[in-house]
Amino acid sequence: MKTFEEKWTAWLDDQLSGHELSEFEASLPDKAAAQAEKAEARKLGELLKRELSARSLKNEEFFSHQLRERIVQESRGQRRERARRSPTSSWWTIPRLLWAGTAPLAVFLICTVFVLHQERPAEESQYLTQILNARVDPVVSPNATVSIFEVKQDRVTVLWTEGLQTLPADYAAK
Amino acid sequence: MQTEATLAQSDVSEVDLVKRCQAGETEAFDELVTRYRTRVFGMIYNMVHSEQDAWDLAQESFLKAWKSIGRFRGQSSFYTWIYRIVMNVTIDWLRKRQVKGGGAEFDDAIQLREIDPASKTVPKTEALPHQAMERDEIRARIEKAIGQLSPEHRAVILMKEIDEMQYHEIAEALRCSIGTVMSRLFYARKKLQSLLRDVYENV
Repeated sequence: MKTFEEKWTAWLDDQLSGHELSEFEASLPDKAAAQAEKAEARKLGELLKRELSARSLKNEEFFSHQLRERIVQESRGQRRERARRSPTSSWWTIPRLLWAGTAPLAVFLICTVFVLHQERPAEESQYLTQILNARVDPVVSPNATVSIFEVKQDRVTVLWTEGLQTLPADYAAK
Repeated sequence: MQTEATLAQSDVSEVDLVKRCQAGETEAFDELVTRYRTRVFGMIYNMVHSEQDAWDLAQESFLKAWKSIGRFRGQSSFYTWIYRIVMNVTIDWLRKRQVKGGGAEFDDAIQLREIDPASKTVPKTEALPHQAMERDEIRARIEKAIGQLSPEHRAVILMKEIDEMQYHEIAEALRCSIGTVMSRLFYARKKLQSLLRDVYENV
């Protein structure tokens, strides 16, 4: 549904026809006044066209030259920006960086597990430790020797000592 | 006026020019600029009433067109498309200027000497000094009256009366409905009629 303004504009510009035109003209309260206004609108249009379409662009070639220069500058700027944003082409690509990080880590872990497994000390009792400490005292037992026989899976240890002059004082306590 | 045949011919080559622009050929864009620079400059000048500003805005509009030519799909004519850019740039500029200058963006400071007395529609015969002065006065009155319209109303009346664009072309250029175009045209004409009645009745 067109508003009055739309219909009026269409009527001024001769864009109404047929039933729409007759209906609109019939709805006008004063057709003579409307026709006078239509003529005024035409005069206004002619005046605008005559006076305003005269404006010409001076130095047309310079206008185009300046625009070309700006386009070239703009393109250079865009290329620089793209180059700045893109990653530098070096040997260090992302997959290589990942491999370079994970491979040493994996080697380190394998070595650590292997070394720990090899160097894991056998379980020693508190008693054995005390005897061995006593053996190292050359004043008390100068000719003492200590031998251990051990079966780990049966959790059995046989301690053979020779030349011991005394037992450590805290042995009885144990 | 272009005949239908020449219009069709120029349309075909225009499509070709646009394709070449989209392939990055600046020479093709240069050709499009040459075709439209005067009309674009004239339209902007009638909106802003300053040669320097019209020059800068026309440059800005063409530069934007170059940057976004890749997005032009050919659904409208190149002229309508470039007009859309021109109108966006110019209306934005006018709005910013109105905000800065408190709305008094056109006044008697408009320099009459800016108007080129040797422009195309002036009759070939030399105008007498008093006739030239009268003409300058009329133009100044018209520009002052147009300066009192909002940027959107200015755009509509200039596209319709100067460039003789159809409602749907104006609507496309301004990204609004045809109804809005017709309504703006109604109010713009009423306002200009009230401001310029004595001018067009006495000329």
